Amino acid sequence: MDIIICLKPAPDPKRWDSIQLDPVTRALQREGIQSVLGPLDKRALEEGLRLKEAHGGKVTVMAMAPPSARENLVEALAMGADEGYLLSDRAFAGSDTWATSLVLSTGIRKIAGFDMILCGSYSLDGSTGHVGAQVAEFLGILNVSQVVAVENIERGKLRTKSLAESGYRILETPLPALITVTREINTPRFTSLFGVIEAENKPLITWSADDLGVAPGKVGFRGSPTQTGGVFMPEMRRKAEMLSGEPEEMVQEIVRKIRQALG
Amino acid sequence: MNINDWKGIWVFAEQEEGCLSEVSLELLSAARLLAKKRPAEICAVLLGHRVQILADQLLAYGADCVYLADHPSLDKYLILPYTRVVSDLIGKKQPEILLLPATFLGSDLAPRVAARVKTGLSAHCTNLDINERGELMQVVPAFGGKVMATILCQEHRPQMATVRPGVFRKGEPRDRKGTVENVPVEINPDDLNQRVIEVHWEKKTAQTVEEAEVVVAGGAGVGSREDWKWVESLAEALHGAVGGTRPPLDEGWITEGQMIGQSGKTIRPKLYIGMGISGVIQHTVGIQDAKVIMAINNDPNAAIFQTADLGVVSDFRKIVPLLLEELKKLSRDKTVS
Amino acid sequence: MEFQFSAQQELLRKSVREFAEGAIAPKVQHMEETDEVPWDLYKEMGKQQYMGILIPKEFGGSALGHLARMIMLEEVGRISAAAAMAVQIFHLGVVPIVDFGNEGQKKKYLPALAKGERLATIAVTEATGGSDPTGIQTTAKLQGDSYILNGRKCFITHGHVADTITIMARTGEGPKGFSAFIVEKSFAGFKLGRKEKKFGLHGCNTGEIAMENCVVPRENLLGSEGDGLKVSMSAISEVGRAGMAGCGLGVINACLEASVKFANERLLGGKPISQHQAIQWMISDIYMDLETSRLLSYRASWMKDQKIRCDVDMAMAKFYATEAAVRCSKKAVDIHGGYGYMMEYPVQRYYRDAEILIASAGTSEIQRIVMARKALTSFK
Repeated sequence: MDIIICLKPAPDPKRWDSIQLDPVTRALQREGIQSVLGPLDKRALEEGLRLKEAHGGKVTVMAMAPPSARENLVEALAMGADEGYLLSDRAFAGSDTWATSLVLSTGIRKIAGFDMILCGSYSLDGSTGHVGAQVAEFLGILNVSQVVAVENIERGKLRTKSLAESGYRILETPLPALITVTREINTPRFTSLFGVIEAENKPLITWSADDLGVAPGKVGFRGSPTQTGGVFMPEMRRKAEMLSGEPEEMVQEIVRKIRQALG
Repeated sequence: MNINDWKGIWVFAEQEEGCLSEVSLELLSAARLLAKKRPAEICAVLLGHRVQILADQLLAYGADCVYLADHPSLDKYLILPYTRVVSDLIGKKQPEILLLPATFLGSDLAPRVAARVKTGLSAHCTNLDINERGELMQVVPAFGGKVMATILCQEHRPQMATVRPGVFRKGEPRDRKGTVENVPVEINPDDLNQRVIEVHWEKKTAQTVEEAEVVVAGGAGVGSREDWKWVESLAEALHGAVGGTRPPLDEGWITEGQMIGQSGKTIRPKLYIGMGISGVIQHTVGIQDAKVIMAINNDPNAAIFQTADLGVVSDFRKIVPLLLEELKKLSRDKTVS
Repeated sequence: MEFQFSAQQELLRKSVREFAEGAIAPKVQHMEETDEVPWDLYKEMGKQQYMGILIPKEFGGSALGHLARMIMLEEVGRISAAAAMAVQIFHLGVVPIVDFGNEGQKKKYLPALAKGERLATIAVTEATGGSDPTGIQTTAKLQGDSYILNGRKCFITHGHVADTITIMARTGEGPKGFSAFIVEKSFAGFKLGRKEKKFGLHGCNTGEIAMENCVVPRENLLGSEGDGLKVSMSAISEVGRAGMAGCGLGVINACLEASVKFANERLLGGKPISQHQAIQWMISDIYMDLETSRLLSYRASWMKDQKIRCDVDMAMAKFYATEAAVRCSKKAVDIHGGYGYMMEYPVQRYYRDAEILIASAGTSEIQRIVMARKALTSFK
């Protein structure tokens, strides 16, 4: 099985408290925050590795990201992927999910062939959850969202358990197909020292907009149908009315406030 | 394409097994609110099989018209048939705005439709409005809620957005006049290669933290499983849901679906009461939309007091039992009178 | 001089850190409460090749070298000094076989050890000889095809759980009268003695082992008779000292992180205590100790990888990092004020764990003697 994993390196959540809003440019300052692979990225990769272990084949990782994300792809190679592609170009900057999906699907088409594509059901930072379905649409293949388990692959058909409002659904989907995975699907493996050593020897290729044959105007900021009109950091401070003293004295006031809140 | 030709505010009405989801009706209210600033016809888009009766409900809750695509192949939700019907309808009728619920179905369908009709889509909007240029302003959270962004879709139509349940309140059903237009459905056999093998209904044992009007949460300060019962008892007394921060999840006092915060759930209850919670931002981003925030902590300097409406400086072990007694008295008095 | 880690070394650090946070951290509480050895964890670390880091590739190890080992120990020690000690003592048991074993011994023992299927340790210390190994009294007498060992070893880490133990015993008189043997716990006459209860490093087994006419096959002699001191000292002085330094680095890291976290959260006079100078100075001292310990430890490790003699550099790194660990853990407890004394905060564990690092693999006084010897000849 040839499997492609789409990854989205995002700023490390542990450092999100240092994200600032520049008061003049109104742009987000996220400099100096390392990018990491999110837990859903790792689960998508883990599932891909397990499918390869069960069915044979190859696992390719791909990300549209700035050059600094190269080390995240190396991490993915160390975890067990066979090869990696970094789609990186200034022209891609400012891409919304539509433009991102366009770039990724172009990159995927450039690789020989695939049986399955896996991604996390949403990314750490933007968390729209759109790219999976949009990549599938551009590639003209079926997708299943929010998969909690891959039950079976038999005779070119994929059987999955995925989340639904009611509970869950079991779907049968012909390959090639794309699935997005949830936290429940598996527990990702740790990267061993052998993995670290072997990562050095695996191919990691960078493709620019030119390499992909993508016109700069069709992607990035200019090619995105959505624009960010304004960014703000919500004020979470509230004026707390403070109560202290003997519990018996406070209880009445608390109950009054509860009744007020519930109307 | 002249975007000025695109008119109308559409709502995708989600139904399962012949029942309209609450959020579909909430979105009709949202559409009505938007229409106040940008007068337009409000249309609901309803797909399914033998769901004509739901069209009347949609009219009652605010739709001016309902596009009804009723066909056996649309009985159960499948991505390709639904994408085709909705996309074709968009192509024919050219709506200016299309709102979908940010449910599993809506979040799966919306991006595929947006890709097919080549337009912009924003996800999990926490607010919608019309700006002075008549454009739809879509407010979405990023970085776990620490940052809010206003998204616009200036040169493409329809402007699409998914909206979480609970952001808007559904209106009162009224006796309204409206039209139901039957949409001819042509099923492409290639769209039917995916099959639904089984739909599993899970009985909801307790209301989720996202749905509940009252959420009582505990943090590391609760200290023990023994003392966690105070969190649960208070939630029960207030008919609310139990939530928590990461330490209680690690301890096994709550499940992952109950963890509130940056990497967990975002909630918007009428009332949130937190005890033994210090108030680090990783948690408070998840409660910032609660109407009233109450915090109980015996450290007067706890950070949570800066994001609370009412701060109670006390050991929760002392005050919650008294609170429970008072609440019990109140409910007894109610039943008596 | 190159003062940066390579991309591969950074990846190594990241991978070990994720393992430590994901797999070791959840076990710490249980180890503290029960002092039980987390078996499955050690097997898991074996699968990640932490145990085999100094074993050559031909025997299944990753042979990543001493600098990589130091990085790994620092990251493991940051989460659990007990787990770091378990890994480092394993290396100490293995290195004599790697450096002095013959082909037969290497083939027999190293593969299973590299996979982490079997655990190793080293046993030198006795009641009569710790700092001065020449005081040991365990004897080994050649009888036919076997050596018969008699004696007791104390304070042996993993003595009760290791499968393969490198043991030093007397075969003759004088300093050249010691020999090193590979002993398996299944050999006749090998007995477990008392298990020690320590005030720190819980979950890391420490105990007494006894050889009562223990039958050790002749082919398990490491090197030749009389090589014992050379074998054990070379292991302890360069691998053991480094191991202790690595554990120390981990503890100091943990102390700094815990102190920064607490200082940023704890309010005094309306502002976090991290804004008070007194606390800032304590934190800067821990930071400086961390960087100094790291520089000394990584330089010595680099030298070892370059095959440059580094026993003194290791002694200096060991002394500094372990003394600093004790110093910094006390500072960390003090920064926490009353909370530092409470079991629910981690700093009390760092304080308790740090102390043993000074006495192990040569006490601070021994390290000073080693350094003095070098200084007195080199700086004349």
